[in-house]
Amino acid sequence: MSLDLSILNYEFMQRALISALVVGLCAPAVGVFLVQKRLALIGDGLGHIALTGVAVGFLTSTSPMWTTLAVTIAASIVMELLRSHSKTSGDVALAMMFYGGIAGGVYLTGLAADKGVANLQQYLFGSLLTTGWTEVWTVVGGGAAVALLMLVLRPWMSAICADEQYARVAGLPVAGLNLLLLMTTAVTVSVSMRAVGLLLVSALLVIPVVTVQQFTRSLKATMFGGMAAGFLIAGAGIITSAVQDVPPGATIVLIGVACFVVTATAAAIVHRLRRTWRRHPPPEGEPLEVELPSKA
Amino acid sequence: MPVIETRGATVSYGGRAVVRGVDLVIQPGEAVAVMGANGSGKSTLVKAIVGLVPLAGGEVELFGTAQRRFRDWKRVGYVPQRTGAASGVPSTAAEVVSQGRLAHRLLGLPSRRADREAVARSLAEVGLEGHARCAVDTLSGGQQQRVLIARALATEPDVLIMDEPTVGVDAETQAALANVVSDRVDAGCAVLIITHELGPLTDRLDRAIVLADGKVVHDGEPPRPVGEHADPAHQHEHPHANGDADTENLWGSK
Repeated sequence: MSLDLSILNYEFMQRALISALVVGLCAPAVGVFLVQKRLALIGDGLGHIALTGVAVGFLTSTSPMWTTLAVTIAASIVMELLRSHSKTSGDVALAMMFYGGIAGGVYLTGLAADKGVANLQQYLFGSLLTTGWTEVWTVVGGGAAVALLMLVLRPWMSAICADEQYARVAGLPVAGLNLLLLMTTAVTVSVSMRAVGLLLVSALLVIPVVTVQQFTRSLKATMFGGMAAGFLIAGAGIITSAVQDVPPGATIVLIGVACFVVTATAAAIVHRLRRTWRRHPPPEGEPLEVELPSKA
Repeated sequence: MPVIETRGATVSYGGRAVVRGVDLVIQPGEAVAVMGANGSGKSTLVKAIVGLVPLAGGEVELFGTAQRRFRDWKRVGYVPQRTGAASGVPSTAAEVVSQGRLAHRLLGLPSRRADREAVARSLAEVGLEGHARCAVDTLSGGQQQRVLIARALATEPDVLIMDEPTVGVDAETQAALANVVSDRVDAGCAVLIITHELGPLTDRLDRAIVLADGKVVHDGEPPRPVGEHADPAHQHEHPHANGDADTENLWGSK
């Protein structure tokens, strides 16, 4: 391949590449549990809430990353309390996050008149190329903390996500772990908003996981495979966007969606073929439980 | 000291009492079936015993401790009522069964050899030793049910609580279940099992409790089937068996 990678000699490209790779590697570590819990859209919900957080940053003239972190963590606590203590169902709470988050962001940005909506745009769709080294290190620190926590707590997290009732009877701290999962999602959203943008953030949580799970059999393989896929997708996205001079967030997400469509199609074909050559003992060996009518 | 004791246990959903003043005592090593028609409150009673639904009145004690203060959950093996072991992400049978060891492990520490041995032993006990590395969503309904039973066994419990483990499963799973219950009882473990049909279990049970309208109407000898239920060829219809519509979601997780 005669791809011109000289663009990586620029420091702003190195910063962009490092942040995107870290986000690509760490986001699926959280996302795998969200997918397992069938909460794939929660990252997007928190992304909308994060918009309010960014606007709070504009309004108070503090770094948007920290106000976003505070607002998304607060929102995830409210979400979890609503979910466990009231009759609000998950999708209603999610709908409220989508509406409230966007409205709060636009309203508060309007109050901070001097900053303007143009500034909001770089958080909505990501603006990796303007990141400074301090921000890169925050991304690396936050991402590493999130990934490490999820790797260490994998059996516990997967137990509460697969079967919450069982986990409660097993005496696991279900409420605490649920909250921790939402809070690590909030951290992931806040640190990755510069890379892919708030509106696309849930893509890197979800797409790598659902892509690799077409072919995996275990949670462990899905988690590590998802992290590897996220790393590759983010890297490919950054390089492609630099070469073609297009927005990196959208490029990363489009590459991810393409990977998903290709693997899902391939998996469907392979499964159809495998129906004839099964790899593991099939359930056919069990006794018939009906009496077949004798042929006359 | 009884393993499970309820005194006047009452549970209501939205003001309607579903379980009404149930007194129940299960001694160590006893095998007891809870029976009754749909809606008689069997499942709710068991959920109240393990603390999944709050009591509106009365008391529940586990191993002599009030249930609200009970923390020694590794003594309880629970098989919830559900129609599959699969979740949104593929998991192997061994991964699901190892959830049963979490009550023994400190948060964040890796599994020890004893944990892995318990998982392998439990899978073998339900006859799935060859399926440890299979994804649970590719197993049959009966095999998935056995995975859930193995998960409860891996806890090495002093009481095994099973919520309708026989609904919609094949004869092989029913036989495996009867063996598991026998082995546990022989090992001194108490068993509380909710079931519609006793089947091969009948001879291994010490007692049966029959609920009707949330009240105990029988506590003693396991009842013999009557009417058409006595016919061995009698077929039950279980509309909710293996009908987990959730398994195909937006992302096609299967």
